[in-house]
Amino acid sequence: MTNSTNKPVTEVLGKAKELFNVKVEDIAERQYKLIAEKDKAIPLLAFLKESGYSHLSILTCVDWIEEKKFELVYILFNWFNGVTFLVSTFIDRDKPVFYTVKDMWPTAEYYERDVHEFFGVEFEGNERCKLPLILELWNDLPPLRKDFDPLKYSKEHFPDREYEKDVIHEAKIIRADLENTRGDING
Amino acid sequence: MGEVKLFFGPNHPGMHGNFSVHMYVEGDIVVKARPLPGFLHRGFEKLMERRLWYQNLALIPRICVPEPDINEACYAMAIEKIAKVEVPERAQWIRMIVLELARIANHLWSFGGIGGPLGMYTSMFWSVADRDKVLDIFEELTGARVYHMYIIPGGVRKDLPPKLEEKIMKLMDYLEQRMPEYETFILKNRILHTRLKGIAKIDTETCLQLGITGIGLRATGVPYDIRKIDPYLFYDKVEFEIPTATEGDALARISLKPKEIKQSIRIIRQALEKMPSGPVNTKIGDGNGLRIRVPKGMAYARVESTRGEYGYLVVSNGGETPYRVAVRGASYPQGLYGVEHLLPGTRIDDVPIWLDTMGVCAPEIDR
Repeated sequence: MTNSTNKPVTEVLGKAKELFNVKVEDIAERQYKLIAEKDKAIPLLAFLKESGYSHLSILTCVDWIEEKKFELVYILFNWFNGVTFLVSTFIDRDKPVFYTVKDMWPTAEYYERDVHEFFGVEFEGNERCKLPLILELWNDLPPLRKDFDPLKYSKEHFPDREYEKDVIHEAKIIRADLENTRGDING
Repeated sequence: MGEVKLFFGPNHPGMHGNFSVHMYVEGDIVVKARPLPGFLHRGFEKLMERRLWYQNLALIPRICVPEPDINEACYAMAIEKIAKVEVPERAQWIRMIVLELARIANHLWSFGGIGGPLGMYTSMFWSVADRDKVLDIFEELTGARVYHMYIIPGGVRKDLPPKLEEKIMKLMDYLEQRMPEYETFILKNRILHTRLKGIAKIDTETCLQLGITGIGLRATGVPYDIRKIDPYLFYDKVEFEIPTATEGDALARISLKPKEIKQSIRIIRQALEKMPSGPVNTKIGDGNGLRIRVPKGMAYARVESTRGEYGYLVVSNGGETPYRVAVRGASYPQGLYGVEHLLPGTRIDDVPIWLDTMGVCAPEIDR
């Protein structure tokens, strides 16, 4: 491992602020949120990976419908000092296109497919981004968007069952029939 | 011979949960593999956005069926990070005991799991019987055997019932004397040993590149354990070792399990000793009773599960329900990308062993 992976957190955060103009928020012990502008996020991720934050825990998305933004969150972890960075960037909700990081983290290919399926975010450079992954034959809004109403979808696609017969009434008839039959036999 | 397409799953004794792999084979060698997840997608992340913070506790253990407690722990710890709440000391120790008991239960369960594809049913009978003893403890502690809903944001639901500590100690003694038997009769058994040695090999570089954590990574010789590197609860106050192996094959991964169980026993004993008395939960956020409000914010909490890093990203907008919860299933990297890129070259009959020993868990991938 190179020496760059053992740099203190403050140094990495200082450089990130200086080079990529990020806003840093303390979340908890050993956990920071780094908010980067859209065009600086990918170089920032590359810089952090080089600095030892090489483990991508997950890439996910948050739908801020009122601000009309999607927030992409990349969670990076450093195996040497146990520090976690939540790298966040905001993209336009009306034109949700971002760039892939699958060259840096191969597994991101699947995370991006996941985010595309559930939020409709496209990742340029990931050719298989639009392939269905978990949802099969989905033909509605991406389901984790805030404007998708699962109850409405469920009512439309799986209508309430209508019972044609009155079961309790039928049971009574059957029982009465049985009693009659028994009466007949006995009689 | 031409290429033939074969289906692995969705139901298969070597796969725990419904998960399918489309295998393109030549002879009996897999040349191309495509994972097909989604059979167990239940929409947890969306459901959580529509339920109260506490209501979700009934939901989340179901995300990972064999090891439910890690979900509760991640969820609770992420909320506590957002609300900046200190959990009472006793509650943290109890959480550690619960997590380690769950760890033991799941490692034992996975011995049963490997019995399926190998046809070695002794391991299944033994380990399931021993796991039941752990579940007895859980039943007494929480009222439920599998889904406990015991770890809540702010602490744990209730204090330990009287005399449970002694019972846990007794169980630890029992399991400790069982472990050598597992090693002798199961791991050195020819059915398992010969069958697993040298297959489903993976190296450190691939693991790190793909983000494979847990036993899969440690079996390649890297002592990376989140409990040591990013200690949560009081893992920095107890002594334990991280067992590793260098071979990186299926046998190495299975052989680490009894060693990890021994370390868990060690942690539980220390926790029971060091645990002070005191309250076991504290109030979180604003609001009354079960209808709480968590302050605005975002936090990620991770724990070391038996399959690797398991984490929750929780986002709150200050409301009565979570704004967004994202689940990082421990087997996501190996279950999807890993299956596609590492499975080719494997023999058809080794595929279930690959999936089983890499800990691919369908419910946590599908969520």
